[in-house]
Amino acid sequence: MTMIVALLLASARAIAGEDPAAAAAALTEGSMPDDAAKPLVQGKCMLCHTGDYLTQQRLNEGQWQKTVEKMRKFGAPASDEEVKIISAYLSKYWTQDAPPAKPVRAAAPPAPRPAR
Amino acid sequence: MSLNRRELLTGAAVAACWLRAPTLAGAKGRQDFFRMTERPLNYESVRGTFTTRITPTERFYLRNHFDLPVVDVETWRLEVHGLVDKPLSLSVADLTRMPQVTLEAVLHCAGNGRHFMAPHVPGVQWRYGAMGNARWTGVRLKDVLALAAPKAGAAFMQYQGAEKPMMSTTPPFVRCLPLAKAQHPDTLLALRMNGQPLPADRGQPVRVVVPGWVGDDWVRAIVDIELRADESTAFYYASGYRYPATPGAPGAAIPPEQMKPMTKINVKSIIGSLTDGDVLKAGVHPLVGVAFSGEAGIDRVEVSTDGGKTWYDASFVGPSTPYGFRVFHRDWKAAPGRYQVLCRATDTAGAKQPDAPVWNPGGYLNNAVDRVTIEVRS
Repeated sequence: MTMIVALLLASARAIAGEDPAAAAAALTEGSMPDDAAKPLVQGKCMLCHTGDYLTQQRLNEGQWQKTVEKMRKFGAPASDEEVKIISAYLSKYWTQDAPPAKPVRAAAPPAPRPAR
Repeated sequence: MSLNRRELLTGAAVAACWLRAPTLAGAKGRQDFFRMTERPLNYESVRGTFTTRITPTERFYLRNHFDLPVVDVETWRLEVHGLVDKPLSLSVADLTRMPQVTLEAVLHCAGNGRHFMAPHVPGVQWRYGAMGNARWTGVRLKDVLALAAPKAGAAFMQYQGAEKPMMSTTPPFVRCLPLAKAQHPDTLLALRMNGQPLPADRGQPVRVVVPGWVGDDWVRAIVDIELRADESTAFYYASGYRYPATPGAPGAAIPPEQMKPMTKINVKSIIGSLTDGDVLKAGVHPLVGVAFSGEAGIDRVEVSTDGGKTWYDASFVGPSTPYGFRVFHRDWKAAPGRYQVLCRATDTAGAKQPDAPVWNPGGYLNNAVDRVTIEVRS
């Protein structure tokens, strides 16, 4: 247990330095930490899905690299260098041992209107 | 079992169930879901959904790979082609004129429970609510295929719905069934859900219903069926939605040739009357939930309030059905303290739930014993 707590604290400090509690809260609530790579991630990944698809994942570096490569095969317009930057950003924050994400309690979304 | 008898049983049990749990009807504006992703729409039902045999349509989970298609019901057509003597192009009216059957079946997302895999795996991090049980009404798929007169060599059915990926380079959601399962008398092309025409976000106007099998086969707004001699090579069948023939150690890679398409749903149960973090007042509380299994009925459900040290049999509300939820119930006299409440089911084939998730690379088919941690105060 001590080791788990230590890992969580280390992960949180890596995000916000002085305020690990705030960093952990940001991760669980799905915020994307400010970082030089954030605009690139938003620009490439969110063409097809919202950021919550990323922020609920808890993956290791290899899993993130594989996932980003898969998205490029699916059509995400990213260069080799951009794939590396995006993978590094995601691997930095959403690790296997980061605090669990907290999905938002919600009402049903409005159903699409039939064409006729 | 004849369909008429099944419908009668279903109706009687639903009535009984609502008598026992009358407070759970859906209401507009209620927060009956957890939003997993905003785009595409992926919403899981809250635990409180799972205390009734039939899941109200408005409380049924939403799972999408892509944006929802908007289908024009008047011009919609289902094309049936490939290894057939009589290719078909069918309208909703064509299907409506054919004999209709109703059956009750659980729709269960393959990744329901993925969140609990250790180590974690990529995908929507469903916890427990990507499932529901509905009454589906429509035509038998085998009747439609018979109209097309399959050729002797036909062995598989490849099919897809109207939904389109956001990018042309993204694989479409194409699936494949062995023809024998497609021709099973309970496999349907459903036009109605819980007595009403399929809503736009549930597969309007027609969806595939494969009772007992996992949700990846239940394609919505189906538009194309191709009979083939060989299995589909489409991404979401040949690569996606695969489960190891023999699961390995957690986190271990599995060779692709050992990954197989999923078929039946595993035996599973969930507590619906409690949710993690609940604080109850000391006294008698009903432990209510649902149990189900893909191709077997539910024989037994046990509950524990001491973290699994001691187990007690629950009683059932209504009969076991081939593919639906079976509601269980046991009253619990709760004294102040912290509790881990568990449930586990055994199906009529003798299959039991494992104590922990069976890890696999896709995070599929998690049917581990269900656990809820709560507190009771005086």
